[in-house]
This record gives sequence, structure tokens and C-alpha cells, in this order.
Amino acid sequence: MRSAFAVFAAVLVGIAAGFGSAWLVLDNGQLLSRTEYDYWFGNEKAGSTAADPYTRGIIAKIGLLALNRSETIYFHRYKDQDGRQLREGCVYEMSGGNLPARWWSITAYAGDDFLPVNGDGAYSVDATQLQRDADGRWRVRIAAERGDAANWISTRHAGSFNLALRMYNPDAGARDDVSTIPYPSITRLNCSEGHA
Amino acid sequence: MKRLIKYAVLAFVVAVVTHLATVLAAPYVLMDVAMARVSKADGINHWTHPPRTTETSRKVVRPSPDLAYSACVYDLDGGPVHVTASAWDDYMSVSVFAHNSDNIFVINDRQAPQGVDMIIVRKGEPHPPGAALVVESPSRRGIVLQRRVAPTQERWEAANAARRHDICEQLKS
Repeated sequence: MRSAFAVFAAVLVGIAAGFGSAWLVLDNGQLLSRTEYDYWFGNEKAGSTAADPYTRGIIAKIGLLALNRSETIYFHRYKDQDGRQLREGCVYEMSGGNLPARWWSITAYAGDDFLPVNGDGAYSVDATQLQRDADGRWRVRIAAERGDAANWISTRHAGSFNLALRMYNPDAGARDDVSTIPYPSITRLNCSEGHA
Repeated sequence: MKRLIKYAVLAFVVAVVTHLATVLAAPYVLMDVAMARVSKADGINHWTHPPRTTETSRKVVRPSPDLAYSACVYDLDGGPVHVTASAWDDYMSVSVFAHNSDNIFVINDRQAPQGVDMIIVRKGEPHPPGAALVVESPSRRGIVLQRRVAPTQERWEAANAARRHDICEQLKS
């Protein structure tokens, strides 16, 4: 009787550990096997029929219905220029130039992988709506408040957030070698109390 | 002590099997959840045209607020499914996802400037005569997704009007 109970307990522990560890992996986009440039990371097998089970599982969890790389290149970013998690309580500046795709956008997501619930309607910037400098370069304020920024992504109520870069119909050069993409830079400018 | 090791090995083996089973099953389970949510309002083999993406859009993770999405859950049990999507003057694509979440097919407006007209059949099944574009699905069920670039309210309303007559339905014999 004691032995049967011990077997039952061992099986229960095994199921809990197996399920829990799998869910932790699937829920953590940062574990995606990947190519990474300046903390932007992506996976060339996203959406592909050649994806390994872990890549397929993670993509299904954090980016279900992603297109394959021939159509769209996706990159994600969770960290600032020094590798610190992006947070609602900090102000960031993102800057860059034109990206090698027919159309592109950068969107902020809260920790639950949905748009932050804040009523600001400033979830993203895209290639057609950005205000640019005379030389074609652009800067975006990523913060809870807009201030006097021309381009703004609101992170109010986003908590620990992340960004998704989508490039639709990427140029052949970018598709063949994603290291040639001029990824936008992200700089943390300051943080409010308790968010250092 | 020997018995304790035996139980530890048992727990480890069960953990590994459960871990792998969960990873392998996750895409199917998550697709089932997405298919149930998408088809809730309009049913199977029917386009659903949701309102503009906002923070209240919570059917599928990481939606883009700059795209007008339409989705159709296809079920090939009753035969091939006919899908159309009208032309759009900016980026537009129609993509097909199998039950395991793989993106098995995608076509965009550059490849189909007059719009998309295609038939989805079960892999290995005969193609309907006269069909110009046929997609073979390895699974009975899956999702067809339409994306149209529409970053402003005005463009979203235009996209919403453009897609109004799109078809996703069982092929009429």
C-alpha cells in the first residue's frame, strides 16, 4: 500500500515537473532558438513547416499564425541597449532609418502578449505614418506619456513589455541575410522611482 | 535508499515524457483554442471580419493594430473549401495554417493583383476541375487568414468595405 502510494506520488511529481517545465519554455519567447542582433531576435523557421517542435510550440504560444520568412520577417525585443528588461516605468528612445521591406511596423505588447490596455491608441509605429527627419531618419518615444514627441508608442499599463518588428515582403538581401538589416536602436533615457 | 532512487527515476521518466508530449501537443491545443474563438460568431467555413484591432482584441496573441484581419476556420470534412479575397491597393495576403500551426501557404497582392481565388483540399484528394489555385492541407481543419495593411481608421474602413463580399465556404458541386 505504501509502495503504491509512493509510485502514485512519483508519477504526479513527474507530470507536474514535465508540464510545468514545458509551459515555462513555451511561454518564454526569449528562449526561441534564434538569430540575434543588438537584442533584436528572430527565428528563420517561424511559421515554417520545417520548424522543430520547440520553435513551433513557442511560436504557437507567443505568435500564433505567423507567416513564414519568405513573406514576412519578424523580430522581437525585450531589452534595452544594456540588456535590461523593457519596463513601463522607463522612457526609451528608438531610432532608425528605412527598413528593407515593402511595409514594416513596430508594436509594443504587454507581458501577456496582447496590446497594453491603456486607452491611448498608440500601440505602434509603421512605415507609412512615421514623422521623419529631412534625411529620412526617425525617432520614437517609447514611454507612458507622450511629452512633445512626434512619434510615440505608449507603454502605460504595459508593465514589463516587449516590441515586435514586422517586415512584410522583405527585400531579397534582408531575406537572404538578416544580419544586413539596419535594426532600430533603443536607448533607455531615464526611469521613474522604483524602476531603476 | 535503493527504493528512493527507483521512485526518483520513475518521476524523471514521467517528467520527460510529459514535457515532450506537452511541447508536441501545444500547437494543436492552441490552434483548437484559436479556431473555437474565431468560429464562435460566424461558424466554420465562413469569413469572420473582426473590428479594428485594439487592446480589446484578444482572440489571437500579438495582433497588429496596423492590419485589417479576416479569419476563416476551414473544415474539409464535407469536401473542398472555396476562398476568395478581393484586391487591395496596398500589401494584402491570404495565408493558410494547418492544425499544427504551420503556415502551409501564403499568397500576396503582388502575386494576385486581381485578388485571390483558391480552393483548399485535403492532401492527396483530387483537385476540383478548372480550379486555378489549389492548396493541399495536411489536416482536416485549420485557419485561413487575410491581412490588409490599414494603419489608419480611414484605411481600415476602406479595407472593411473591400472584404465585404469575400467568400470562404464549402465548394458547391
